[in-house]
Amino acid sequence: MTMEQLIQELKEHLIEELNLEDITPEDIDAEAPLFGEGLGLDSIDALEIILILEKNYGVRLANSAEAKPVFYSVKTLAEYVMQNRK
Amino acid sequence: MVDTNIYIGAYSLQTALGDLTATCEAMASGRSGLRYDARFGMPTATIDQVAPIAGLTRFEAMLAHAIEQVSRLSGVALDRPDTLLVLSTTKGNVALLEGQTEAPERAYLYASAEVLAAHFGMTTAPVVISNACISGVSAFVVARRLLQEGLYRHAIVAGCDELSEFIASGFASFKSISPNPCRPYDAARDGLSLGEAVGAVLLTRERALASEPCVALLGGVVSNDANHISGPSRTGEELAWAITEALREAHVTPEEVGCVNTHGTATRYNDEMESKALAVAALSDVPTNSLKGYIGHTLGASGVVESILTIEQLRRGELFATQGFEELGTPCPVAVAAAPQPIRKAFAVKTASGFGGCNAAIVFGPASEPCDVEEQPAMRSATEVAHAEVVQGESPFAEMIRARFRAFGEQNLRFYKMSDLAKGVYVAVEELLRQVPLDEQVGAERRAIILSNRASSLEADLAHQQLVDQHAPEGTSPAVFVYTLPNVAMGEMAIRHRIKGDNTFFIEPKQSDWCERYARQLIARDRADEVICGWCEKIGQKWHFEVKLLKNV
Repeated sequence: MTMEQLIQELKEHLIEELNLEDITPEDIDAEAPLFGEGLGLDSIDALEIILILEKNYGVRLANSAEAKPVFYSVKTLAEYVMQNRK
Repeated sequence: MVDTNIYIGAYSLQTALGDLTATCEAMASGRSGLRYDARFGMPTATIDQVAPIAGLTRFEAMLAHAIEQVSRLSGVALDRPDTLLVLSTTKGNVALLEGQTEAPERAYLYASAEVLAAHFGMTTAPVVISNACISGVSAFVVARRLLQEGLYRHAIVAGCDELSEFIASGFASFKSISPNPCRPYDAARDGLSLGEAVGAVLLTRERALASEPCVALLGGVVSNDANHISGPSRTGEELAWAITEALREAHVTPEEVGCVNTHGTATRYNDEMESKALAVAALSDVPTNSLKGYIGHTLGASGVVESILTIEQLRRGELFATQGFEELGTPCPVAVAAAPQPIRKAFAVKTASGFGGCNAAIVFGPASEPCDVEEQPAMRSATEVAHAEVVQGESPFAEMIRARFRAFGEQNLRFYKMSDLAKGVYVAVEELLRQVPLDEQVGAERRAIILSNRASSLEADLAHQQLVDQHAPEGTSPAVFVYTLPNVAMGEMAIRHRIKGDNTFFIEPKQSDWCERYARQLIARDRADEVICGWCEKIGQKWHFEVKLLKNV
């Protein structure tokens, strides 16, 4: 899977699992911050993203604090998955 | 002479450490009930044996034993028309949901209350409170107010929750469980430990029924952070407000407080928040303990069990050590009791905080002297200024609620993350406040929300249970689990509409005017200026939301 494909797939997972109603993958800028404004994600969403990574890519992150740089954007998530997926 | 005191009568409890005597002995000698539990892969503090009672579930039998003992010790017959049962639980018979796709009748919280009332031949209808982890302390607050209004002479406050995979996996999904026995306030704390317990206590207007040495329940206040549905306040101001108001009701100054028993779950953020709240409430120097290191976090039982143990410590004049605590690790100072120590002042404060942003504080201490005349100020009047309803119609719930939400014409991505119960409350309250808005001049602490229903959060409970039953290696979903507490729907409203005052969730057998009467009393007794109150039921294809806005005008 190429980086572009992974980014697209991650966006789809986020929309589905985080109930991002009315948001399409095209609406999500892969390099924009995931948290704070924009998608309005919070700490519960961060825990859900940990679940998404584990369920779909077998990638484990112990807690949301250590995951902070990984969670910056869809692109940083994709890079982490590329490096760590099984 | 008028005696307005609410006295503490007989009490009973059961924890992983045993009955009251055994639990106190263990706590006085620094022995924890937390053990590694292979069922859940974490340390827990559970009760080994509950003597079965025919026709009752384990959860109900735990309560029945405790209530029976309180009745026997106090001599208060439970069939009296002036005696009320106030039940505190978050999940009741949730164990019955295992492997189910529909909720059996007995999984409804009020069903357990009715079974218990029938078991004891009670003639009054029980009051059931499900307010997340503050439920037990909330139950004291509610019972005190009902007794003060003269509606009853005696109330038995009982709290219980069983530990189950439902609970264990839910807290695990929040990454809030420590792999080791919890260490409240310690620099190395890394999460909570779960437990199960039951407690029951008699609150009474009759001095003759007070156990000696006499202790009274002198004040009690509930607040909301209006910040986040699962994370605590960043400032601690809202818990501090509840403490300060409860002390004011009790006519007690912070200097007169001899000890504080906090919630002290040992999660990083809870203990941080409490340290800030104690600082704001001028209680940083007061000897403080958390009992979670002995008996774990016992959820709906914790407020009742820990209050009983606070009263017991006040009577003995000795504060138990905080099990697991060595080195303080909070942003504000807390005088954590690292070893048992004498309590040198007359009054005690008990606090609790929970999901949905709720906080509660109560004050115990020597009874005030009976006075010549009752110095109750005049009752303030409450007026209904708006009313809104979401009722069943032609379209399915999802379609209907989305259409009504879209009609507001706003972008709020949070809405779609909510449970159906919370969505219904959101739309009903939004339509209510678009008729008559909350007054911007009214302080957030003077706004309250009081809701009730029959099904509690059963729909979300079933959704979480189905994830539990799948036993997936990655665990369950925190976004589903957080809504398995009905008061979280109120927490959403607290955040959206800046409601920082009372927020209490009652479970009723059917829709009644209970919440409205409770809300009117909040305004009448000058505890709030604006209250949203009403009914919010959603289970399967049945729903009904009906809310009112009451104001002091």
